[in-house]
Amino acid sequence: MALLETRDLTRVFGGLTAVNRVDLTVDKGEIVGLIGPNGAGKTTCFNLLSGFLRPTRGSIVFDGQDITGLRPHQIAGRGLVRTFQLTTLFQEMTALENVLLGLHLHSGKGPRQVLFSRRDFPADEIARGRDVLEFTGLAPHADQLTRNLPHGHQRVLGIAMALAAQPRLLLLDEPVTGMNLDESGHVMDLVRTIRSRGTTILLVEHNMKAVMGTCERIVVLNFGQKLAEGTPSQVSTSPAVIQAYLGTGIAHA
Amino acid sequence: MTPALLVQSAIVGVSLGSIYILMALGLTLMFGMMHIINFAHGAVYMLGAFVIYYVFFQGGVPYFAAFVASMILLGVFGYLVERSIYRPVKGGIEPTLVALLALTTFLQAAGYPVFGQLDKHVPPVFPGTTNVFGVGISIERLMIIPVAGALVIGLYLFINKTRLGAAMRAIEQDKEAAALQGVNVHVVNGLAFAIGFALAAASGALMAPIFKLDPMMGEQPLLKAFIIIILGGLGSIPGAILGGLMLGLIDSIVATALGAEPAFLLSFVFIIMLLLFRPTGLFGYAS
Amino acid sequence: MRRKLGVPIVLAMLAALALLVPALGGDYYVHVFALVFTNVILAASLRPSLTCGQLNIGHSAFMSVGAYTSALLAKNLAVPFEVSLLCGALLATAVGLVIGYPALRLRGVYFAMVTVAFVEVIRLIAQLWVSLTRGMSGLSGIPKPSILGMTLTSRAGQYYLVVGLTLMILLVLWKLEHSRLGLIWKSIGMADNLAQSLGVNIARHKLLAFMLGCFFAGTAGAFYAHFIRFLFPPEFGFLMATNILVYNYVGGRGHFVGPIVGAIFLSLLSEPFRGSPYETIFFSIAMLLTILFLPGGLITLPRKLAELRSWRTASAPTPSPAA
Repeated sequence: MALLETRDLTRVFGGLTAVNRVDLTVDKGEIVGLIGPNGAGKTTCFNLLSGFLRPTRGSIVFDGQDITGLRPHQIAGRGLVRTFQLTTLFQEMTALENVLLGLHLHSGKGPRQVLFSRRDFPADEIARGRDVLEFTGLAPHADQLTRNLPHGHQRVLGIAMALAAQPRLLLLDEPVTGMNLDESGHVMDLVRTIRSRGTTILLVEHNMKAVMGTCERIVVLNFGQKLAEGTPSQVSTSPAVIQAYLGTGIAHA
Repeated sequence: MTPALLVQSAIVGVSLGSIYILMALGLTLMFGMMHIINFAHGAVYMLGAFVIYYVFFQGGVPYFAAFVASMILLGVFGYLVERSIYRPVKGGIEPTLVALLALTTFLQAAGYPVFGQLDKHVPPVFPGTTNVFGVGISIERLMIIPVAGALVIGLYLFINKTRLGAAMRAIEQDKEAAALQGVNVHVVNGLAFAIGFALAAASGALMAPIFKLDPMMGEQPLLKAFIIIILGGLGSIPGAILGGLMLGLIDSIVATALGAEPAFLLSFVFIIMLLLFRPTGLFGYAS
Repeated sequence: MRRKLGVPIVLAMLAALALLVPALGGDYYVHVFALVFTNVILAASLRPSLTCGQLNIGHSAFMSVGAYTSALLAKNLAVPFEVSLLCGALLATAVGLVIGYPALRLRGVYFAMVTVAFVEVIRLIAQLWVSLTRGMSGLSGIPKPSILGMTLTSRAGQYYLVVGLTLMILLVLWKLEHSRLGLIWKSIGMADNLAQSLGVNIARHKLLAFMLGCFFAGTAGAFYAHFIRFLFPPEFGFLMATNILVYNYVGGRGHFVGPIVGAIFLSLLSEPFRGSPYETIFFSIAMLLTILFLPGGLITLPRKLAELRSWRTASAPTPSPAA
């Protein structure tokens, strides 16, 4: 059953068609990779799916419901949560506080609760927050300020926060870009574990080793259009895909 | 409104627009490069006018020399402001804006004890009126147009034909890339400040013989310049030129028809509408 | 956020001021401090908006709406003070809704420019609608404030009124800042994309912060109108709006007491020179010096002094100061 389905998804910026009639499906329980040369429209796709951009044309259906044109917080509220490419985090707070924010902000408390409850988090939420940190391997850094964490840890924290928001579909925006072999290996292990716990995953990535090694299905974009789709071996041997990457080189570390 | 009055308003509007253009150009240049709104621009306009008062009127120096002196003096001041206020302030755009607000407040307030409480006037440099398209226009106002035009052309040539101008364009597009290419961003920013201030001073200097001088005289031109750069698109030089001209014409004609303050009100309402529905302005690109 | 930065000290100061002023000083000091408290309300009520990351230079417009509404209702329709004040605050909030709802979509400089333009629009309306507001001649003959029918004739009585208002408003703002709502505001100010992606409706929360500020600004305006008993449109212009912003920056953005400290400090600093241009000169110099040398605001002064002292003794190496 398709958890996510886009039809004819298009986004035009002035003279530039960044995403052009893209039909994308993600089935429940899959790990799907979205790849393509720079400027292919991957980030724009993510922004469209998560509501940060409005489609010029086309529709997005999530779990049977049309979410086209919904605002980001509404989409997140339905279980479609994304991470960000850059280290967008609450830098002046500790790792634990960041995750607690992720938990709390999604907790859907009513206005009265919101106004009059104390800011300090109740014990059960703190426990849940620590669980998420444990799960993602960040437990030793729980009380460190985010901006003091190394880059790799910050990226993982971004994933932890997204997890705290209880996603059914997790959009990972370049989760391992800039990481070394070791770090990226750990993160991709984490991704697989997340999926085994029941979360469907769609990720954008440039690191081919990570993508080919983790995703069951890969969609290739070029110039905003879907170029190819299939298993990692199908995609990596497709002449069209190879040609698209020609000159930029396919295999990264 | 009679046709004659309309023509007269229109010509005055072009003259007024020329001043607005000079103010707006400096503002938009500084925004494009450093993403700040120079709240001190109005104060610089005022200082430019006062330089004319003291150097030309009191000092007897020929107007043209005084005009150039005004631009140079305030240009240098602009460079110093960049060094002493813009550069040291950390923490992003907001503290910088607040610092510039502080500067402007200081300059305007200090104007009263320094320049005295009485209104000041500068006599016209080109007295008399002449006949244009059948209506009478003061020559003083007419002369603004070619002078402003010359400055605009000068700026255009500088930005597009000189290396420093290219450096400015580079910084506007990508500060880090420019720095990597060897552009000394600090110095070029300082230059942007200098040019912006010099242009504001020029507007003030040109307007000195026309309106009375007082330390708060820059506030209105500043607000008008805000309107223009939004109209034309923040950071867009052609936008500033077209926007300045448009606002000058609209201001002049509407003000003649309805009065100055209602015209002001309308232009502000217009700008709010524009910001809400087309924030990139008429000619700008999304920044 | 971690240290309770002298909050008890500031509160004690406020309490002391409040109680002692009419006893120690004459009418002049009472007048000055009444205005100081008015500024405290204005500065503190701008803070939620700033916490959400909105550069709001329009606060004085809402003060103006509150002031004129209350003044006109009381003067022309003999509406009792409590009601006219409430109406002033509510109308200011309604106006805030009208301009805030579309404007809060805008970011950064664009939003700031809308607020600047809006201040001018309100000012010009007040100036041009002469039949209602008497325009540039000024609106005079505003009745004094009254409580439950009893007019507060003395300056001291009015002073205690504004102190009471200030304390109530500060209490509300304090509670909100330390509630989950405050946390949401803070998260919006820190990284609004992230907040959105975690399910926060940033538009609604920004609007709430904005409208709350408008309500209290309108309240301050209403008090002001009945205290000074003369309203003049240019008073509520760009200059006052920037002053209110500056109270927040000079006092410090990082803590609840920041705007309070900033408002008190700057109002008192400029007071000896009130009316003369030197007032503004000192004010602006204070602004500049604080921005250049104490970017975190006055509330970071104790910390900076402590750092300087520990550098001098040069014992243990100090941790690098937070940016």
